[in-house]
Amino acid sequence: MNILLVEDDMELAHSVGEHFRDQGYIVRHCADGESGLSSACQEDYQVIVLDRMLPALDGLEFVRRLRQRGVRTPVIYLTTMSGIDDRVQGLEAGGDDYLVKPFAFAELLARVRVLSRRPGSAPEPAIHLTLGSIELDLLKRTVVRAGKNIELLPQEFRLLEYFVRNPDRVLTRRMLLENVWGINFDPQTSVVESHISRLRAKVNHGFEFDVVQTVRGTGYKFLAPN
Amino acid sequence: MSFRRSAVPDINSLRPIRVFNTESFRSAALFASLFLVLSWVLLGAVYWIVDDTQTAALIGAIDADINTIKNGYRAEGLPEAIEVVHQRLGSGKYAGADLPGGYILIRDVASGTMAGNVRPDTLQLGLFNLSVPRSGGSAATVLGRGGYIAGGIYLFVGRDTAPIAATRARILKAFAWIEGAAIILAGTGGIFFSLQFMRRIDAIARTCQSIISGKFNDRIALRGSGDELDRLALAINNMLDRISTLLDSLRQVSSDVAHDLRTPLTHLRNRLEEARQKALTTDDYAALVSHAIEDTDHLLAIFAALLRISQIESGSRLAAFTALSLTELLEQVYEMYRPVAEDEHRVLLHDIQKDVRIQGDGELLMQMFSNLIENAIRHAPSGTRILIRLARSGNTVTAAVEDDGPGIPAVEHDKVFRRFYRLTRSRSTPGNGLGLALVAAIANLHAAKIELADNHPGARFRLSFEHLA
Repeated sequence: MNILLVEDDMELAHSVGEHFRDQGYIVRHCADGESGLSSACQEDYQVIVLDRMLPALDGLEFVRRLRQRGVRTPVIYLTTMSGIDDRVQGLEAGGDDYLVKPFAFAELLARVRVLSRRPGSAPEPAIHLTLGSIELDLLKRTVVRAGKNIELLPQEFRLLEYFVRNPDRVLTRRMLLENVWGINFDPQTSVVESHISRLRAKVNHGFEFDVVQTVRGTGYKFLAPN
Repeated sequence: MSFRRSAVPDINSLRPIRVFNTESFRSAALFASLFLVLSWVLLGAVYWIVDDTQTAALIGAIDADINTIKNGYRAEGLPEAIEVVHQRLGSGKYAGADLPGGYILIRDVASGTMAGNVRPDTLQLGLFNLSVPRSGGSAATVLGRGGYIAGGIYLFVGRDTAPIAATRARILKAFAWIEGAAIILAGTGGIFFSLQFMRRIDAIARTCQSIISGKFNDRIALRGSGDELDRLALAINNMLDRISTLLDSLRQVSSDVAHDLRTPLTHLRNRLEEARQKALTTDDYAALVSHAIEDTDHLLAIFAALLRISQIESGSRLAAFTALSLTELLEQVYEMYRPVAEDEHRVLLHDIQKDVRIQGDGELLMQMFSNLIENAIRHAPSGTRILIRLARSGNTVTAAVEDDGPGIPAVEHDKVFRRFYRLTRSRSTPGNGLGLALVAAIANLHAAKIELADNHPGARFRLSFEHLA
């Protein structure tokens, strides 16, 4: 797996690069926007990890030009700009995810793994999602596991849908909050944990295989049931 | 401090020269110059009109004399004309006499017969000036007309122009006095007004100077006349008041920040010191390191919350306001926290009116209500009932988060919205004291009134929105 890391903070770039290499990724590092952009256009990367404030070419402009040239490689911003508007601007420019510094590497890794699976475009709008023996009808909002109907509340359904779309990947608490509840702040209570435990109880009821695996200190992983 | 002096030049130096360098003096000088130019134009007009009128009168008198003499000649010949001339002059002398009758010469060019008081060789024609010596040795400037009244008979009649010259001199003299007085008046007036103006400007500058040098409570004295300088001074005073309030709150915030960051930093430091001194196994290290990371995350959360509050207070989010359904938003918040409350053995209830819409920022409102509900979940004891209310009456939308827990003492009702403020009994529960400060900031951004009241028993946070959609 190839990752392009565009980051002018050498220390951070080194540490992030080492972490990714430990995980078996091939990392190419560029310290400024211009060289990063030409590398992004010439070579085939699965994900681009991009600092938003760069010398020579700013991160937003980087993504705009990248998209103009038809390169669909997923981009995740790493940035100290934590404003609400900053996130919106970053995504509107054509970025796919936004991670505010400082961050835990596990968070970045989880997000890169989810992004790198994407075929470079948004998932097709489907009506039915199937994963192993679980079937979701997105129109009727119904869930069937091995022929058994499961009643879910709307937020539990959205949580399951996000899991089913991203199986076998670690999904962090913050990724779930962003993608399921659409919130970008950290609740001080166990919102995610409470919903997961209810979803888990409902989906696993009457089955032996636990579809939601807890990854300690990081998040959750959804496993396809037989 | 000398470097401060140099930034604002000392207002008492250069005083004599500065007077001429003021706006009021410049306008006085400008108006004085305009007045001078206008008065010169007026002088020119008066001078020309008076001169022209007097000259015309003189020429009229000359022409009348010419006609009389001409008529005498036509009726009875040259001797009669000479007789008329003599009568006019009252004497037979040709020249050198200053006579009221003026200056006349009649002469038969062929015979040489002549009469009058002008040099006999004067034979010029038309209207012209002639210099005639007076008895005292000076010369009179005589304006006259010369011509032939019949074949060979030359007649010149002229008058002394001295009265015209005298009038001219009087006009010029009068103007010289007026102009002189005007220049002096404009100059002194300009200096007087600009000095007065400058004194008030200097007072303002002195106040500013003293504020710069540290007396932040100084204000500009008002005259009470309500004139433009008073209005300016009032505006400056109001601005200074506002700046001073902002500075105070900034000072408060920075000392709060410094103080409240010290505690988690102390924890972090102790943790690391403990690791260096006591940790023996890698498991000990791992445990202490993950505690240290938790401490760091807590610190980062404080920074993030502070940044968010200041970002919200800057008002930049107003641009992102849209019409949104507060009903849907609160139902979503209810759905989100119902299991959390259940797990924590609290009961979350709702009484939410349908189709209530307001203008606002959905993400921030979500955070505001989340904070209020989390506040109730975390600080009220097990078994507490928490109620989310939404109702619209007329043009006011009221949203509330109520609980039947121990409530908040009335004396602390205003303080809970301050940054880092924590109730004494809450100091042992985790939290950074910024949740309600963020709530207040978001409510302010939405121009919503936030009230904390006693719920008999418990606490009631009520928000009144006016920006309906």
